[in-house]
Formats: sequence, C-alpha cells, structure tokens
Amino acid sequence: MFAAIADMYRYDKRFAFGFTVLLIFVLIAVVSLFSPYNTRAWNTVPRNLEPSSKHLLGTNSIGQDIFWVALTATKNSLVLGLVAASISRVIAIVVGLLSGYKGGLFDRVVMIVNDSFIIIPLFPILILIATILRSSLSIPVLGLIIGLFGWAWDARLFRSQILSLKEREFTKTAILSGLKTYKVIATEHFPYIVPLVMSATINNVIWVIGMEVTLSMLGLSNLNTPTIGTMIYWALQYQAIFLEMWNWILTPIIICVVLILALYMLSTSISEYLDPRTRLQMTKAR
Amino acid sequence: MKLKSAVFLVLVAVACLSLSSWVLAVEPPRNETLIADILTGKVGNPGNFNFWATWVGNDKGLQQLVIDPLWMADYVTGEIINVLAAENPIYNDDFTTLTVKLREGVYWNDGVEFTADDVVYTVTLSMATPGLGYHTQFNQNIAEVVKVDPYTVVFELKEPNSRFHYQFLDRWGACRILPKHIFETAEDPLSFQFNPPIGTGPYKLVEYDLGGYWFLYELREDWDRTVTGMVYGKPAPKYVKFIHYGDASKKAMAQISHELDMADLTPESLQVVLSRNEYARGFYEDFPWAELLHPAVTGAAFNTLVEPFDNPEVRWALNLALDAKGLALTAYDGAVAFSPAYIPALLPYYEYYYEELQPYLEDYTIEVDGELYQPYNSNLPFEMAEEARRKGYTVPDTEKEIRIMFGYGWWKHSPEIAEKLLIKNGFSRGRDGKWLLPDGTPWKIEIVCLTTSTNPSFKWAFSIANQWSEFGIDCEAVPNEQVEHLTDMGDYQVVGGQPAAEPFGAGIDLYRGINVFKSAFFKPLGEERVGHQSRWIDEEIDGYIAQMELTDYNDPKNIELGIEVIKRLIDGQPGVSLASFPGFMGLDTYYWTNYPSGENPYAVPWYHWPNLKFVLPFLEPTGRE
Amino acid sequence: MFKKFFIPRMIQYFTVLFIGITLVFVIPRLLPSDPVSTQLHRMTSQGQYLDPAAVEEMRETLQELYGLKGGMLQQYFSYWKRLFTGDLGPSFTQFPTPVIALIRMSLPWTLGLLLASLSLSWMIGTVLGGIKVSFPNSPFSKATELLAMGIRPIPYYIMALVLLILFAFLFPVFPMAGGYSVGSKVGFNARFIKDLLRHSFLPILSMVVLEIGGWFLQMRNVASNLVEEDYVVYAEASGLPKSKIVFSYIMRNAIVPQITGFGLNLGFVFGGALITEMVFSYPGMGTLLYSAIIAGDYNLIMGINIFSIVGVSTAMLIIDLLYPLLDPRVRYQ
Repeated sequence: MFAAIADMYRYDKRFAFGFTVLLIFVLIAVVSLFSPYNTRAWNTVPRNLEPSSKHLLGTNSIGQDIFWVALTATKNSLVLGLVAASISRVIAIVVGLLSGYKGGLFDRVVMIVNDSFIIIPLFPILILIATILRSSLSIPVLGLIIGLFGWAWDARLFRSQILSLKEREFTKTAILSGLKTYKVIATEHFPYIVPLVMSATINNVIWVIGMEVTLSMLGLSNLNTPTIGTMIYWALQYQAIFLEMWNWILTPIIICVVLILALYMLSTSISEYLDPRTRLQMTKAR
Repeated sequence: MKLKSAVFLVLVAVACLSLSSWVLAVEPPRNETLIADILTGKVGNPGNFNFWATWVGNDKGLQQLVIDPLWMADYVTGEIINVLAAENPIYNDDFTTLTVKLREGVYWNDGVEFTADDVVYTVTLSMATPGLGYHTQFNQNIAEVVKVDPYTVVFELKEPNSRFHYQFLDRWGACRILPKHIFETAEDPLSFQFNPPIGTGPYKLVEYDLGGYWFLYELREDWDRTVTGMVYGKPAPKYVKFIHYGDASKKAMAQISHELDMADLTPESLQVVLSRNEYARGFYEDFPWAELLHPAVTGAAFNTLVEPFDNPEVRWALNLALDAKGLALTAYDGAVAFSPAYIPALLPYYEYYYEELQPYLEDYTIEVDGELYQPYNSNLPFEMAEEARRKGYTVPDTEKEIRIMFGYGWWKHSPEIAEKLLIKNGFSRGRDGKWLLPDGTPWKIEIVCLTTSTNPSFKWAFSIANQWSEFGIDCEAVPNEQVEHLTDMGDYQVVGGQPAAEPFGAGIDLYRGINVFKSAFFKPLGEERVGHQSRWIDEEIDGYIAQMELTDYNDPKNIELGIEVIKRLIDGQPGVSLASFPGFMGLDTYYWTNYPSGENPYAVPWYHWPNLKFVLPFLEPTGRE
Repeated sequence: MFKKFFIPRMIQYFTVLFIGITLVFVIPRLLPSDPVSTQLHRMTSQGQYLDPAAVEEMRETLQELYGLKGGMLQQYFSYWKRLFTGDLGPSFTQFPTPVIALIRMSLPWTLGLLLASLSLSWMIGTVLGGIKVSFPNSPFSKATELLAMGIRPIPYYIMALVLLILFAFLFPVFPMAGGYSVGSKVGFNARFIKDLLRHSFLPILSMVVLEIGGWFLQMRNVASNLVEEDYVVYAEASGLPKSKIVFSYIMRNAIVPQITGFGLNLGFVFGGALITEMVFSYPGMGTLLYSAIIAGDYNLIMGINIFSIVGVSTAMLIIDLLYPLLDPRVRYQ
C-alpha cells in the first residue's frame, strides 16, 4: 500500500499534487479544531480588518476571523463531502454491481427502487427535513441526507457498465477457460469499473459541494455552521464583491476549486495506475 | 478538427458581438419614465389583475397607480387621506351606521363616471362571493349597504363597530373600489382576470411581461379627472415601470446603471450604490440613510406557552441580557430607531405616546432579591448619536432630532440583573459557565426566522442569538422557509419578527396593533393561531380593548387606554420590542428629484404602497438624457 | 425477446410512475405549510387588516373552495381520477387558474433555455473530449483540459454571478433581467426573436460553461478506455491511418454513452434551472416550482413534478430499449 503510494508519488505529477493538497486539507481540518475563536459566533473580532499578522486573511463584516472560519469551513465541507460521497458510493456500488451481475427479478425490483429515487422531487423533501430538524441539522446529518439521495443515478451507470462487460468476448473466454466468476470480476472487470467509479465519485463530490452551496443560497442549510456554501452566502449577503472584500469572497471559492482539482487529479492518476496497461507505460516512460 | 473548433469559437464571438449591438424594442423615453422595483419579487400570475380575489397579491402596481381606495393611511402626518371618499368616516353615536360621502367628478379610465353604485356593488359582490378577500369580514359586519344619493353610501352594521372603516383604509391592502360596469359583465368574479384593469387612478396599464418581471403604466390623458389630479396636480412621470431585477445585489447594479430609480436595498447594497452612483441617495442624504419611522415594530416574539418562556421573569431576563447598542450596530450599523413599548417609533406616536411614556419608563422598577433596579436607559439615542459621530457621520444636535432619528431609548444592558432573575427562578450555570434549565439540563434556545436576509426577522434573529450565546445560553438562529406555519401552530420557542401587530400607522388609534392580545382569540398550542404569535393574553387588556371598541377611533381617550395597554405589555414582555422596521431605500436622482426624504418627509416614501400616486405630482424631472 | 425483455421493462416503467406520482401527492402534504394559511399570511404580511374574528371563517371558506376538505385518502383518489382525465386541477396560489395554464406559461422559457444549453454543451464537450483523446499531447487539448478542470469546480452560483456582473453591469452588453424587453411584440417576428436571444444569451452561456466539463470528462474517460481495446491496438498495428482509427473505431463507440447521457438529461429539463433563473431573473419552471413549494400549492407542485417524473422515466425507458441497438455488445435480457 505505502509502496504503491510512494511509487505513484514519484512517477505521477498529478498524484503528487493531488495527494499533497489533500494532505494539507486534512492538516487544515485538524488545525481548525484548535481555533482560538468560536467560528459559529459573530463579533468575536473587530469587523472589516485588512489581512495582517494577527488576522492572516483579515476579518469580515460580521466580526469573524476569515482565516479560522475558512479552516473550519474546509473541515466541515470535507466531512460533508466524505459522509455524503461515501454513503452514496457504497449504496451505488452495491446496488449497481449486484443488480448488474445478478439480473433477473432481483434486478428488476432493485431498478424500480433505483428509478424511484431518481425521480423523487428533491427540494420539497429537503425543505421538509430542514423544517423538521431545524438547528439539529448538523453537517454529518446533512451529509447523510444528501448521500441517501445521491446514489441512484450512479448505480444505474455502474449497472450498465457491468451489463456491457458481461457480454464482452474476454469475459466469455475467461469463463469458458474455467475462471471463477469473482476472479473474472477482480482481474478482468475491475480495471474497467474503477475509473468509472472514480470519475463518478468526483462528479458526486462536485455535486455534493454544489448542492451545499445551493442549499445555503436558498437558506435551507444551517447558516451558523461555517462551510464553503455558508461562507459564500454571508460574503454575498454583505456585498463582498462590490465592496471589494476579496479576502472574504475569494477564500471559499479558491478552497473549493483547489479541493476539487486535487480530487480530480488523484482519481485520474489512481485509475490509470490500477489499469495494468497504463501503469506499465507510466513507469516505463519515466 | 482544431480548425473546426477555432472557426466555431470565432462564430460564437461574432454572434456575441452582433447580439449586443442590436438596438431593440421601443422602450419609453427613459427621462419620462420612473422605474421602481417590485418589492415582493417576481409576479406569479402576471395576467390576473383582479386583486379582490383573496389570492391575487398587491404586486403589479395597481394599488399605486390604477385603483383607488376610499381612504388611505398617511403615517407621516398621522391623518386619514380622503381618496374616493370626500370626508373622513362618519359614524352615528352608537357605531351602528357608517356614512361615506364620495367625491364628485371622478372618472374611470374608460370614461364612465365613478358613483355610489360602484361602492355598493363592490360590497355586495364581495358579500355574495366566497373567495373574495372581504367576503367573511363584510358578512360578519354589514347588515345592509345603501346608496342614499349618487355620492353618499350608508352602511348599516350588524353590531356596533367603531373601527369598521379599517376595511376600506388602505396602507398596503384594503377593500378598494372596483368598477361596477366592468365586473357586471364578468361571468365569475373569482376567475375574472380584470385585464386590462380599469381604474380611477391617474395611470393606465400599457404592457406587462408574460414572465412576470415588469409592468409598464402610462399617465392618463384625463388625469385631471382623477383624485390625484384634482387634489395634488399632474403627476410628473409620463410612464411608470415596475420591474423586479432580483436580489439586493442586482437591484444595486441596476441602480448604479441608472436603470432603477426607487429600490428596497440592504444596508450593504445601499452602501455599494452610494459609493458608485454619485446621484444616488438614501431616505436621508447622510447617516443613517435608512427610513426608520416605519409603522411596524420589529424584534422577536416569545412563544409564551412553552417553558421557560411562559415565565415573565425569564422573558425580562432575556431582554435585559441584550445590549441594544450592540444589536443595532451589528444588524444595521447603528441606523435604528428604538421602540421599547411595542409600538413603532412613528412621528405622530412620539407626541401622543412616547412623550407620555418616557417618565413612566424612566421610573420603571424591577425587584430582584429585595433590591430595586431601574432598567430603562433614556440616554441611549444620544449614545448612538455619539457612536455615529465617532465614525465620522454627521448627526443632528437637538434632542428632538436625535430622538426622531434613534428613538426614545431601550433597556440597559444588564447581564447581572438577568443573572439574578434567572437564578431566582431556579436556573443555574454549569461548570462550563453555560446556563442550565431549572431541571438541570442545558438551556438551548432556537430562534426561527424568515430566510430573506434583508428582513428584520432575519437580522434581529441572528444578532439576538449571538448575544444570548455570549450570555451563556446555547442559542442559534434558524432561518426556515416554513416559519410562518411553525408560528401558526405554536411549534417554536422564539421567532424573529414583530413582537406586536402593526397599529394603523395613522392617527392615535392603537386598536389594530393590540386587539390581537384579546383573550377571546386565544388558541392552545397545536391549534392554528388567530391572535398574536406569542399567544400572550392578559385579562386587564381585555377590559381596555372593550372600552376602545366603544370609543370613536378619533377620540383622545384612545391615548389613555393605549398607554394602559402598553404598560401591561411592558410588564409581560411577550417579546423583544426593539425598533421600527428600518427601510434601506435607494433613490436615484439622475432622472428624478424631490422624492419624500428625511429632510423633506412630505409623504410616505415607499413605492409599493398606494401613497405613491400622491407622491408622483411632486417629483421633478431633471431632463437628463 | 419481446416477452422476456419488453414486458418486464414496461411493468417497471409504470410501477416507477405510480410510486413517483404517489410521492408527489404525499410529500407536499407533509410540509407544515398549506395553501389556505399561506393566503392568509400573504394578506396580513402585506399590511391588510384581517380582523382576527374573521380568520377562522375565512379558513373554512377557502378550504371549501380549494377542495381540501375531506381526508387524505379521499383527496388521493379524486386526484387520480382527475389525472386520468388529463386534469391537473387548479393552482391554489393563483386560484382558480388551472395548473396546466401556469405550466404552459413557464415551460417554453425552460425548454428554450435548457435544450439550447444542453445541446451546445454536449456538442462542445464531446468534440473537445474527442480531440483530447485523439491528440492527448497537443497544446490545444492540454489547454482545454486545464480550462475545463479549472472552471468546473467553481460553484455555479458564483460563476453565473460573475458572468452577470461582467457582461450585464461592468460591460453592459446584455440585459440584467427578464426574458424580453418592454415594447417588443411577442410573437414570431425577427425583432422579438433577436430580443429573446439577447436575453437568453447569458443564462445559456453560464449553463454551457458549467456543463461542458462533465461531457468533456465523460467523453475523454470512455474514449481513453477504448484506445486500449484490442481492436484499436490491432488497427494501429495494421497501419491504418490515425484519423480513420479515431473516427471509425474510437469515436463511434465512445459516442454511445454520450448519446445515452444526452437522452437521460433531456428527461430532466422539465424541472427547470432554479439557480440560473434566480441569478439572471429569467422566467421558467424552477422558480415556479420553488415558490409553489414554499406556498404549499399542492396541485402546482404535483403538476410540475408529474411532467418531470414522466420525462425522466420515459427517457430512461427509451434509453434502456434502444441501448442494445446502439451498443451491440449488450443484449436484451
């Protein structure tokens, strides 16, 4: 495992970048726990200060230290993305693979559930949940909810990939040559499924973060909790763009972009590494 | 392939440029058009102008320009303006009849004369049609409505009612008068669209957006046959356009581009407009910019049926834990007119009520642990003025002007007294310094509020939540789309918003603001409320309200009764009565000047209220191209 | 084949429709808001004098009028009955305007906006993705990849807002709000169409920019998998010209998932684009639906969602039925 990481770190610049950034983000998440200020409260510091050694990114119009709020927001958004994406990934993969390989009645029933999840109107449900939970709508709970509604699409995608793989020549050859099904899946199908899962995961994380921003914009998430979405929300509410408070509005946007870019690079790099054909090329080429 | 996409990109660029260079539709000349924002946002069903139906809103510009009420409230002067009525309401001695004298020589914009028949028809149609907005209220009140002569209407009431005319007194909603000759032809008055609208106002509809974003009106040629023309003269703008640009940032952009003359903004977006448009101004030319004398009082309300908010001492403690100055600075940068007495800081109320109440408030005493404490700080407006001066703003010097700007005062920030009050009632502080309820569990307060961040409900909820957290209570503000329904059913603890109902904004009468506390309207939790959202009632108040109902709306005796009610409200503190609704209005003087303003408050400044049509004759065009 | 594949698939289709339509009946009714109290709130919040003594009776009257009396089950059955006659019922917030009339007013805007942005982003994304795979190391494809990757993570709201600030405010090339301007004659005439295009340009642009990245990525991923396929390797080894390999072997197969993706996305257009409509103040189904949810306008929520549900599930059905035709490797089963 470590050897593999070290290998990729050495041979693939994208992996090096993504991995380093992700490590930094994890570090940020840990550091954010030691914030000297209560990042949920307002007016903990003087308002609208320029960046300085005391306040690295300055302070905003509601009296918060932007640096520490940003750290906490990063942590919260990471947790949110992690919870939502892992829940929806697990469900999507299990449903997609089982449905694809098993087929038959099982497949049909599962697909009915699956398709129902795709067509459920999401907004009334989110408003309903926000109204019932109100201040108990914490980050993990929000992640859970988003996760529960974010898997069906990808499950369908994975299933159709399996269906396609099952009919391929090499699958038939492998089965005919007496290879066990799980072995076929592990050796022959895995390299096809992993890149798909990876790119679907990236899309899902982007969707989760976008969803969180949208919910914040509509006032449906807990606006007291710093996240990328709520930071943008408050900055826009206080007209940070037109009052040229770039330290406030750009911070969450840059965090968002860097985070997603890092995840993207990691995923492409890992998919290529898992694909034995490219791995060979990768190590040979350098 | 590369070439192809390059060609494609070039094509896109060309398309962009050519699109932008098109000179399109014929807009009316900008310097003859007044553009105001649609305050309530995008209009849901733009083709339906029949706003007598319950579900059609006051959002298309009709009440400002086309349709007239009998009377209109003017909270700047405190008077009732006679619109289609020629005189203020006339009741008989026992309040069982109301006589309405109508103006002569007023014409609908299709040339038909306005007469008593229109008034009678408006009322009888409402009474006969369930679903029209005043169906229920008219049927409960009116025994008979009679046309005495073409310009006199008499209402025979079922029971004595000294406030019946409120149904016809327009602030932003009343039963306005509809044209009989048009509605008579309608098959079903409920689904009738009233398109184009025919009115007695000085403007008529020209065009509207099928998407619901704008409405364009033009001045009538026979404007002199309207009440506006007869009383105030010719309206200055030939056209009036109502348009919804979007949120506060978009309104600010539009106003900076001189594409929006009157807009409802936030403190920050007004700041943006002022810094980027040298012609723009707020209601005041200088600090505090906002219009502070608004007929609604804002702050928060407690759910007084829920523990521990059912205890008046706890409600007092929570009020005293607040630092009014800090709240005002956080929420509105200090631009706030404090109103601690559950009535707004309206100009007429200063004279009638606050002058009377001031000594009472100053002497108001709370007893805790045998000690007496006087919590009122009448010096707060001067502290606010000092704070504003410190920031470099120009603030008037006289006591009167400062009180007009910042109100009369508020409760002192007294966390020690709040602490004692809470401890007396069995509360305690945990090891971490956080408050525990009498049963030893952590005290957690949730303040629900509207999701519109421009609304005081939102602003106060967040600022109050912060101060209570500082005081050691685990408190959070929770914006929720469904907040009105939560308060309806009593499913909340504290709500940001109005601690009392809105009084009329005209005259001395507080009846409308306080009759919501009548115990007859009480509903237990879980049942839809009828009275105030705090569900607070008081037997003593019942008596005063009953007396008011037997007193003419104009009788000075109302002041005495009103003050007694206010005293009971202060004792009970069903909410946090903070300040009048602060309105951050942006006015662009590039094309038009002489808007109603802090320096010259000749009329109600808001453009979504019916009073706009009486402001228009006073606007002056600058003639800029 | 028909019996084994087609019939079960149709059963699945109708079951999903039934579940979906039942859900959009139930979910809005669980919300605390209801259309009657929303009306009363609107009246009081707009400063109208509502005598507390009249409130309860008004509630009764409106409930009667709206047909909201009677139990949930009874309402549910009459809802299905109405639905089978093609009647979506009246809207409550715009009573008694039929829901279908409101949808008819908003749908053309949404269809125009979403069909245009979907097809544009699909074409551009697919072409760029194809270029990237065929010429992975050319500066052009590297630049497009970087651009696609850099823009996509920007939260859409911000990107749309920046476009608006740039092209409607700082350089006022496009209008700031609305679908068309004052004084243009609505109808099929050149001037109105030009006006329409001018107003829809920025909203469409923002969505195209947002969506290109996704199509680009999918195309790139699928196609780069194909590059490794045996038949491509074989074709390369046999010395076929590069362009022939790219078009006949890679693109033709890589386009299949792109087409299915396109088809599925077509099903989603009925829901509208809420954030786009909000940022650009553009008319459409997104804001119509959102305000219906807020106001508890059950019939309108159901009406719009039924369009969506039918749209999405039909798209899925068609794709499932056609997929084996497009991709011969998948059999009907």
